[in-house]
Amino acid sequence: MSEDTTLRMEGILKEFPGVVANDHVNLSVERGEIHGLLGENGAGKSTLMKVLYGLYSQDDGDIYLDGERLDLGSPQDAIDAGIGMVHQHFMLIPRLTVAENVVLGEREPATAFRSDAEDSWLPAAIRNNSLVQSLAGQFSLGLDVPEQRIQDLADQYGFDIDVSAKIWELDVGQQQRVEILKALYRDVDLLILDEPTAVLTPTEAERLFDSLERLTDEGLSIIFITHKLTEVDAIVDRVTVLREGRNVGTAEVSSVSRADLAEMMVGREVLFEIDRDAVDLGEPVLRARGVRATDNRDIEALSGIDLTVRQGEIVGIAGVSGNGQKELAEVMAGIRDVTAGEVVVNGDDITGAKPRTFVDSGVSFVPEDRLQYGCAEDLSVMHNATMKDFRDSRFGDRPFLNYGELRDYAETLVEEFDVRGVSDVTETKAGDLSGGNLQKLILAREIYRDPDLLIANQPTRGVDVGAIEFIRETLLEQRKAGTGIILLSEDLDEIFDLSDRILVVYEGEFVYETTPAEADRERIGLEMTGGGDDEGQMETSPPPSGVTQGSES
Amino acid sequence: MVSFIAGLLDATVQAATVLLLAGMGELISERAGVLNLGVEGMMLVGALGGFITTVVTGSHWLGFGVGILLGMVLALVHAFLCITLKSNQVISGVMLTLLGTGLTTFFGSGWVEESINGFPQITFPLVGQYLVGIPIIGEALFRSTATDYLALGLLVVVWYFLHHSNLGLEMIAVGEDPEMADTMGVSVFRLRYLAVLIGGGFAGAAGAHLSLAFSQLWVPGMTAGRGWIAVALVIFAQWRPRRMLVGAYLFGLLDALRIRSQSISLTLGPDAPFASVINPIVEFLMTPQIMGTYPYLATILVLAYAVIRTKSDQLAVPSALLQSYSRETD
Repeated sequence: MSEDTTLRMEGILKEFPGVVANDHVNLSVERGEIHGLLGENGAGKSTLMKVLYGLYSQDDGDIYLDGERLDLGSPQDAIDAGIGMVHQHFMLIPRLTVAENVVLGEREPATAFRSDAEDSWLPAAIRNNSLVQSLAGQFSLGLDVPEQRIQDLADQYGFDIDVSAKIWELDVGQQQRVEILKALYRDVDLLILDEPTAVLTPTEAERLFDSLERLTDEGLSIIFITHKLTEVDAIVDRVTVLREGRNVGTAEVSSVSRADLAEMMVGREVLFEIDRDAVDLGEPVLRARGVRATDNRDIEALSGIDLTVRQGEIVGIAGVSGNGQKELAEVMAGIRDVTAGEVVVNGDDITGAKPRTFVDSGVSFVPEDRLQYGCAEDLSVMHNATMKDFRDSRFGDRPFLNYGELRDYAETLVEEFDVRGVSDVTETKAGDLSGGNLQKLILAREIYRDPDLLIANQPTRGVDVGAIEFIRETLLEQRKAGTGIILLSEDLDEIFDLSDRILVVYEGEFVYETTPAEADRERIGLEMTGGGDDEGQMETSPPPSGVTQGSES
Repeated sequence: MVSFIAGLLDATVQAATVLLLAGMGELISERAGVLNLGVEGMMLVGALGGFITTVVTGSHWLGFGVGILLGMVLALVHAFLCITLKSNQVISGVMLTLLGTGLTTFFGSGWVEESINGFPQITFPLVGQYLVGIPIIGEALFRSTATDYLALGLLVVVWYFLHHSNLGLEMIAVGEDPEMADTMGVSVFRLRYLAVLIGGGFAGAAGAHLSLAFSQLWVPGMTAGRGWIAVALVIFAQWRPRRMLVGAYLFGLLDALRIRSQSISLTLGPDAPFASVINPIVEFLMTPQIMGTYPYLATILVLAYAVIRTKSDQLAVPSALLQSYSRETD
């Protein structure tokens, strides 16, 4: 153990009914390093961090910060000890402003009552009285000074944030920066980031990495939870790997290969190369012309999309998130109305038809948000597995359902698609499955009905390497079986590995078309950000420059 | 006619105070994420407790205080069931309303005959004596009971508390996303208890105002559904204190009209065109029982309007309403 060790977690044991989430896990983090915590979904990374943040109390084991043993009964204790955490699901209240979210719990009194106020009309003797301070902290609220401090912090780290904006007005990347500001505002020494890039686009992730490096330059230590090996390579100094609640080992990133890490994580060898056989393209399964649609705020999100997908073809759609991908997927799946244009599936014009018509026409859909739209969290695996096909005659004569058949069908899906964590298909709730397994279940439901067109929006986002491998292979098998597939992904590698044709979407229009063989990554990157157009779109979206480095200090 | 309108306005103010007090309590409780459907029961307990205390001691202020206290006692049961035991808020609330109704009917039967010296009508301090002379509205606004003025003052306090104090901000956070609040070191448990207790105190105050100032007598079941209207009022006000002022007076006016509906004649003369069609409709709409539904209809309209006009993520309902919270459940 070196002198630079700031955090030591020793023999942490955390059990939940029926599961050992952390089985005597050790972790040590050095000052100023970015320490990766790597593992598949359900390996116990988040649990370990929730113990460290005082949200869970461990059943056994000790935590030491700078040599002192910590007894964390609540997040407040962790905050007081100088630990901050950015959760995977943002802990922000959309209806409140940035400043209100950041100062929550800090009890910032009205400006006049601040003990550090310079020109308060209240005499210092009154302001410094502990009773007055306590009352002012409870019954008043001053945001002027905190807002200035938050703004200063934001400027210091190059965050473009309007502190008086409401959270719902910000995009996901900005919201994450608010999360980081929440921790910085509390002067943390150790910052935990739980899968911070899960919701970010590659560009936003780059910006995050820059910010994190600046934070470690200032002496902060960072624990970076991830299951993406590329991220470990990109910014992590040392990495600890967890598998099934145990720690497999800690390593210097520079001394291990990506394949080694993957094997530590999964417990077996992982294939990164995918074989993609040639498949003859058949008839078009989808022909969409001049499709226009609006987003949830009634702003036009698709401005005239033409898209044809043929049998056995994977069309990859690349783009920075928020350029109409979500709307595109939903329009093609029939769950969002078009404002103009037509959607023809298997030769039938079903523009404006009900989602059910799309389903019956052979369209399957894997939505981006699997918890909210992909499943009914509180229903069983069986209900979820049969949700699209229960009307089929093999499940009984209407109005009655043959539960035995439904059950058998669900069990078949669970087995064939290797969905783990299901003890009984009628008992286990879909919402209790881990991300990767839930995604496999959804994919199973959508694919087992043998669709003609499959729309997969971010099918591998937030799932672990093992599941990613499985999902990609499944998509390729389906392609071989003659299904036309629209693949929307922010992972360019995925688009390149799987697609027959690549389309780049920017501001609701396709701006570039290519094939993986001919494609030039740089060109695609430019097109994704609107920089490839000759008509001067560079001016409307300049690269995020003008960020002042800390050179003036 | 002038005296009729003046009388109507006076009754409006009186009725609005009941709704305003109960509604403010409900608003605070709901902003912290706890629905309190026990308002009606808490009001009845406050009304009877306040009444008995006033009969026995002769002090209506002491009665008012006891009313508040009893409302809080019932709210404590609600808080314990919903926050500590995490039971269903709707079931607990309805149960408390039934409990409050039953208890007050039983214990209150002997007090129906009693009379009290309740809150007197006073002119508003300092400026009231000059303003009371304003035609039509003067009497209604500036000669009222102390509790009417108190309710208005408390509305300002509640608005300031929720939107301009740390405790208020924390309370809103707890009602929006308890997990988030917890990670920020805010005690979800403590703030929800506080909110529910304040809510119960307000409900008790509303009940005490009803028996000590509004009708100055005790009748079993005298709240007559006003607790439920207070719940509707919170929705009508879209969980905002300032809109609650408008809503309380609107609902108060409807209440005052309902009581007076027999003495109002809006029917057309027999010679007017379509009189035979319109008159039965007007008469139907003016029956007290039908008028009693107007606050609910207005709430439904406001709710429908709010849903249509705004997207669901901006709807004013606290995001974590009805959700209990415990740390280690996910």
